[in-house]
Amino acid sequence: MQRQIEPQPAAPRARPGPASRYWFQRNRRWLGDMGTIALLLLVLFPFAWLVQMSFRPNKDILGYELLFEPTLAHYKALWTGAFPASFVNSTITSVSSTVLALVIGVPAAYALSRGGFRSSRRIALWILATRMAPPIAFTIPFFLAYRYLGLSDTLIGLIIVYLTFNLALVIWMMQPFFDGVPRELEEAAWIDGCGVWEAFWRVTLPLSAPGLAATAVICFILSWNDFFYALVLTRTNASTAPVAIVNFIQYTGWEWGRIAAAGTLVMLPVVIFSILVRNYLVRGLAAGGVKE
Amino acid sequence: MPVQRLGWVAYRQRSFMAGMAPALMVLALITIAPAVYLVLTSLTPLNLTLPNTAWDFSNPAGNYIDLLEDPRFTRSVWVQVKLSVSTVILQLLVGLGVALLLNGGTRIRELARSGFLIPMVLPPIVVGILWKVMYAVDISPFHRFMAYIGLPVPSLITDPNWALFAIVIAETWEWFPFTMLMVLAALQMIPASPLEAARIDGANNWQIFRFVMFPYIQSTLVVAAIFRLIDSIKAFPLIFVLTDGGPGDVTEVTNYYAYRQAFTFSLWGYGSAIATLMVAGIFVLSWVIDRLTGAADAEAD
Repeated sequence: MQRQIEPQPAAPRARPGPASRYWFQRNRRWLGDMGTIALLLLVLFPFAWLVQMSFRPNKDILGYELLFEPTLAHYKALWTGAFPASFVNSTITSVSSTVLALVIGVPAAYALSRGGFRSSRRIALWILATRMAPPIAFTIPFFLAYRYLGLSDTLIGLIIVYLTFNLALVIWMMQPFFDGVPRELEEAAWIDGCGVWEAFWRVTLPLSAPGLAATAVICFILSWNDFFYALVLTRTNASTAPVAIVNFIQYTGWEWGRIAAAGTLVMLPVVIFSILVRNYLVRGLAAGGVKE
Repeated sequence: MPVQRLGWVAYRQRSFMAGMAPALMVLALITIAPAVYLVLTSLTPLNLTLPNTAWDFSNPAGNYIDLLEDPRFTRSVWVQVKLSVSTVILQLLVGLGVALLLNGGTRIRELARSGFLIPMVLPPIVVGILWKVMYAVDISPFHRFMAYIGLPVPSLITDPNWALFAIVIAETWEWFPFTMLMVLAALQMIPASPLEAARIDGANNWQIFRFVMFPYIQSTLVVAAIFRLIDSIKAFPLIFVLTDGGPGDVTEVTNYYAYRQAFTFSLWGYGSAIATLMVAGIFVLSWVIDRLTGAADAEAD
């Protein structure tokens, strides 16, 4: 028998504290906001410092007067060197690797979501292991193999290496998005005569578009940020922007203005992208550990 | 009807297999094949300057025996332990602190969240450069300020006693947003009623945190810690830019040592042996993660 809800005398309200406590509570909120802003400024200080350095004229590159005449000289100097080519390389490798990982990984994620395979848990562990393995364990065999395959210092070589982390990430990130799409919608499409993949293409994939976009952006960021693989597997032709900065330091020494400008250019796309996908970042970066 | 239905089920299953196959094949080609190659290489004394060392399996355990007696390897493991333990603890503490602050729920704190995650998404090489700027005595605003007020501080990254500490600071700065975001997500999942109940019962802030919030975020903290622990083993760009493993070898972690052996000294067999041991170590840690998240899931169910 269900318990009846008896009319109860109004519960005594939480006793209001003395007025000073209210004042303290209100101020605590305000103080917390101020603290947050102060902490944020402190945390972002090294980042902001690098950006301002990139606009400082060479003669007072070390200055810390807030007022200076900003100059684009460092950016112009970069434009004439080897840097633009490396920027193009970075873009090509990151975009291609992302697209390739999506094309191969998205159907697999869907199949894992719907197929009910007995081995899906083992596949999940394999993917987790790929995420965990140290890059050095991949670079040594890839470097040795690329010498024979003629893939050293090529964009294709880099794109393949980036699949080692991007493919696993795509499968891991997309599967929960597909899990979230009601199966009834696909079943309706099947009844209407769609094949499995046609229904996927027309119904499930469009409904998972936000997840797909977030996954693509995170793949792009991971490839764009890569330093280690590009350092080891490229020399001159295929070197990406992060490696170009290092080469640049090795040839011309610590020329701060130009280094700051190059650093600013390299981080600009990821800062913008990551703010766009901030809500998915944890799932992407902790792929395998966060189950939602 | 049943026959037709069975046909459809079989067709569907076949379609799913076809969707999986390319990914599994590519994954096998780019992960399992290199892993096998790595282990095989670790059993040879491969040195690219000596052509006959390739595929020489006459002394398969040679590299591993050498590793046991290599004091530089042992030191690198020790440096790794110091770096990993201190950065993981610091990232947990800072991440938890900032998450609790941001959990306040005002508009400003909501906006600040995007700002705090910037260090984590920056290209690691840029993180290295901006900390190089912070640590270079002649250019760093910090060093110049200390000199200006008459308390000059010597450079941290060239001092053997402080170089590792300098890396710890930079690494913590780069990755505390990760623990912060994970903890924040966990904090926002806490239902309001136990918090209210505790408040009505007169619990103070510390008691609310310790006895009401902490049990909810405990498993998240463990998972975040293990993730950071495993990723800290891969530390490379920061060390590459800031100290290059030096001064001497005080900041040379195992990953860096393996890189040096293979890519600088061309001792590929030896480098592979170190990398193989690292993979083995990380697999043990991954297994622990799986157990822990599995346990947490079972608890939640």
